[in-house]
Amino acid sequence: MFLFDTLSAVFTVLILLGIVPNLFYSFGYLPHIKRKTHYLIHYFGFILSMIGVVISANALVFLFFWELMSLTSWQLILTEPKDKENLFAARFYFFMTHLGFVCLLLFFLIISNGDINQSFSALKAIASHFAYPTLLFFFLIFGLLSKAGAVPLHVWLPYAHPQAPSPVSALMSGVMLKIALYGLFRFLFDILYPWPLQWGVVILIIGAISSLVGVLYALSEHDIKALLANHSIENIGIILIAFGMGMIFDTLHLPLLSAFAFIAALFHIFNHMSFKSLLFMGAGSVLHQTNTKNMEKYGGLIKTMPITAITFLIAAISISALPPSNGFLSEWMIFQSLLSSSHINIMTLKLTIPFAIFALALTGGLAIACFVKAYGITFLGLHRSTNAKHATEVNSLMKIGMILMALVVISLMLLAPIYIHYFSNTLVSLGKADVYHKIFPHGIWQMHSVGINGGVVSPLILLIALLGITFLLIFAYKALHVKERIYKTWACGYRTSSRTQYSSTGFAGPIRRFFTWLYKPQEHLNTEKVKGHNTIFTSSHYAVHVKPLFEVSLYTSLVRLTNITSYWVYRFAHFEQRRYVAIIFNLLLMVLFSYRIFSHQFSWATFAIETVVMIITIKILVIGDKK
Amino acid sequence: MILYLSTIILLIVISPLLLSFITQIKMFITFKKPISIFQGYRNFSKLMSKETIISEETSAVTRVAPFLILSPLLIVLFLLPPIVKGAYYVSFVDAFTITGLISLSTFFLMLLGLDSASSFGGMGSSREAFISALVEPAMILTVFSVSMMAGNLGIGQAGVNLASSFPQKHMASFLFSAISFFILLIAENGRIPVDNPQTHLEVTMIHEAMILDITGVYLAIVEMASSIKFIIFASLFASLFMPFGLQFSIPVALVIFIAKLLIICIAIALLEIGTAKLRLFKVPNLLGISIVFAFLSLITFYVLGA
Repeated sequence: MFLFDTLSAVFTVLILLGIVPNLFYSFGYLPHIKRKTHYLIHYFGFILSMIGVVISANALVFLFFWELMSLTSWQLILTEPKDKENLFAARFYFFMTHLGFVCLLLFFLIISNGDINQSFSALKAIASHFAYPTLLFFFLIFGLLSKAGAVPLHVWLPYAHPQAPSPVSALMSGVMLKIALYGLFRFLFDILYPWPLQWGVVILIIGAISSLVGVLYALSEHDIKALLANHSIENIGIILIAFGMGMIFDTLHLPLLSAFAFIAALFHIFNHMSFKSLLFMGAGSVLHQTNTKNMEKYGGLIKTMPITAITFLIAAISISALPPSNGFLSEWMIFQSLLSSSHINIMTLKLTIPFAIFALALTGGLAIACFVKAYGITFLGLHRSTNAKHATEVNSLMKIGMILMALVVISLMLLAPIYIHYFSNTLVSLGKADVYHKIFPHGIWQMHSVGINGGVVSPLILLIALLGITFLLIFAYKALHVKERIYKTWACGYRTSSRTQYSSTGFAGPIRRFFTWLYKPQEHLNTEKVKGHNTIFTSSHYAVHVKPLFEVSLYTSLVRLTNITSYWVYRFAHFEQRRYVAIIFNLLLMVLFSYRIFSHQFSWATFAIETVVMIITIKILVIGDKK
Repeated sequence: MILYLSTIILLIVISPLLLSFITQIKMFITFKKPISIFQGYRNFSKLMSKETIISEETSAVTRVAPFLILSPLLIVLFLLPPIVKGAYYVSFVDAFTITGLISLSTFFLMLLGLDSASSFGGMGSSREAFISALVEPAMILTVFSVSMMAGNLGIGQAGVNLASSFPQKHMASFLFSAISFFILLIAENGRIPVDNPQTHLEVTMIHEAMILDITGVYLAIVEMASSIKFIIFASLFASLFMPFGLQFSIPVALVIFIAKLLIICIAIALLEIGTAKLRLFKVPNLLGISIVFAFLSLITFYVLGA
C-alpha cells in the first residue's frame, strides 16, 4: 500500500521544508480565522494527504489521497466564504481539479486493466502492451498538469490562490503544485518509460508557453496574491522546460545531459517551493495588516514591517533569478541544458530550442520587471492609503514562519551542492546517469555544465565577492564621514504625495501597452468635467482590466459551444412526429445515394443531382417553413 | 595576476574618460567648444566633496542600493576576457551569469527609483524595467551565438579563442551577432536613440529619472556604475567582435585595445549625432531587430554553417 523510495523521500523532504515554516505562520494567522476547527481539520488533512500522495504504492491509494488533497484544499479556499468571488473561485477549482482527476482515473483504469489495486511496478507491463501510449501520455499530463497549472489548464490558479487564507496559498502554490510534478516523475519514469521524442517536445512547448503567459499576466495584475499565483504558472513552465529537455535528451541517448536537466527541474521545484511560499507569506502579512489585496493601496510598508520587507526582498531576488540566489542557480542549470542543444543532431529540433531559450530569457527579464513592481509599489515610497499607514509588523509566530522560510531559501543557495548530490542520487535510483561528479568536479566551489565546453558558475564565490565588495564600499563610505542631510524629495517644486507616486498600473503601463495584442485591456475613464470646459475637471477615475486571453478564448467559447449544441439537441429532441419521419426518410435517401460511392460507381453528375435532391428534401421536409 | 588586477584598475580608471570622449566628439561635430576629456573625473571629485541629501520619504533601500548597484558591475569587470596576452582571466563564467549580475545592478537601480516616492523615479523605473526586460533575451541569444562560434560558453575563453583562431567560415553569423550586440550596447547604456543621457526632460529621460533624487557620494557611485557598465559592454564588444591584437606585446596590445574602445566611442557619437531619440514605444522595434539578428545568427550558424 505504501512505498517509500528515494523519489518519495525527495518529495517528502520538499513537503516537510514547505510545511514546517508554514505551521508557525499558520498558527500566527489563526486568530484571524473565524471557523478555526474547520480550518485546522482541513489544513492538517491537506498536509497528510500530500504526504500520502507521494508515499502511495498503488493507484487506488494514490487516487484516494489525490482526491483528498483536492477536496481539503477546496474546503480551505472556502474558509471565509464572504462573497461571490470566493464561491466562484472554489467552484472553478473544484471543477478543474476533478476534470484532471477523471483523466488520471482513465489513465489508471487503462494501464491496470480495471484493477487499480495493483502496485505501480505491476502496471508497467500492461502499459507497455497498450497500443496507443500517446493517449496514455495525454491522459496523464492532462490529469497532472491541470493540478500543476500549466497552460492551457492554468486558469483556476489566479482565482483560487488569492481566495485561500495566506498560509494555505503558500502551501497550495509552494507544495501542492509540486505534488502534481511528482506524478510526472513517478509515472513517466516508472510506467511509460521509453518516451518518443515528441512527448519531450510537447512538454517543452507547454513549459515555454506557460512561462511566458504566466509572467505576462502577472505583470498586469494589481492584486498581489493573483500576481504571485500567475508567477506560479510561470515557474511551473520553467520546471516543465527543464523536464522536457531532460526527456528530449533521454530519447536522443544523451544520458548525462538528460540527468543534468532533470536535476535542474528538481532543483527548481525546491527553489520555487521555498521562494513562492515565502512570497505568499509576505503577501499574507501585508494583506493581513492592510486588509486589502489591492497593491495600489500599499506603499511604504518597509518602514513599519521591516522583517516582512527583508524576507520578501530575498524571495523577490531569488524568483527573479538574480545571482547568486538559488533561483539563479536552477535557472542557470536550465539555460545550460538548453544551450547544450548544440549536441542534438536533428536540425528542426536544434532550431526550435533557441525559441525556448528566448522564452526563458524574456520570462527572466519580465519577472525582474514584475518583482520590481511588486516590491517597489508594496514596500517603498509613501503610504498610498490609511490602511497602509496604520500597518504594523505581524505577530512573532508569523515572523518566525517567514524567517524560517527565508532560511530555507538561503540554505538552498548555500548548500546547493548537497541538494544537487541528493537529487543526483535520486535520479540514479530511477535509472539515470550519475552526474554529480560532472557538475562539481573540483569541489563545491565551481558548478559545471555537463555539456561539452559548457559554462561554469561559482555561486559561493559570487556571493562572497558580492557581499565583500558591497561591505567594502559601505565601509569606505562610512570612513569618508560624509555629511548627511534629510530633506524633502525633489519633485520640481511640487509636493510629493501618495497620489503623485507611480501606481502599480502605471508601472506596468509600457509593458501593457507593448503587449496590447495579448492583454486586450478594457479601459474605463470617467471624467467629470467643469461645465463649459474641455480640459478642466473635478474628478477623474481610470480603471483598466485585463481579462485572461485563454479564459476568454478557450473556456468561454467552450461554454458558448456547449450552449449552442445543447440548444440544437433540444431542438432535435422536440420535433413533432412528422419531422422524425422526414429525418428517417432523408437518412434512407442518403444510404441509397451513398451506395453508389461504396460500390465504386461514382460519377459527379449523379452526385450533383443527388445532392440537390437531398438539399430539397431536407429543406422541405425537415426544416420546413420559418415561423 | 598583477597584469589581471592592473587591467581591471585600468578599466575602472579610463571608464569616465570614454563617456567624456563621446560628449567631446559630439560637441566638436556640432561646432561647440568641447568639454575637457577629464570632465568625468571633475564631476566625480565634485560630487565626492558634496554633502549627501537623503529624502525623508526614503527607506533603508536608498542607503544600500547605490553600493549594490556598483558591486555586481565591479564583479563583472573581473570576468571579462583578457586584453593583453599572458594576463590571468576567468575563463569559465558564461553569459547568463554576466547578464544576471548586470540585471542585479539594474534591479537595485529600479528600486532606488521607486524609493524616493517621486513620480520621476517611478517613471524611470517603469521604463527601465520595460527596456531591460526586452534586452535580456537578445543579450543571451547573441552571446550564445558568439560562444558557439568560439567553441566555448565561457565569455573569457570565448574571447581568447576568437583572438587566437578567428572562425573565418562563420563570418556571416558573426556579423549578425555583432550587429545585434551593438544595438544592445546602445540600449543597455542608455544612449541615443534609446535614452538621452544629457536630458532632464521628463518625457524622455529613463536613467536620469531614476537617480534624480540622489546626490553627493551616492550620485557619484551611481554615475561611476553607469560608466563602468559602459566600459563592460564596450570591452565585451572589443574582445568578442573585434578579436585581434591579443598576440602582440603588452604595450602594443593595450594601445590596440584602447584604440578599439575609442572606435566604439566614435561610432556611438556619430550615431548619436545622426539620429533622434526614439519614442519609448518605438524602442521595442529596435530591440526586436536585435533579437531577430541574434536568431538569424544562430540559424545561419546551424543551417548554413556560415
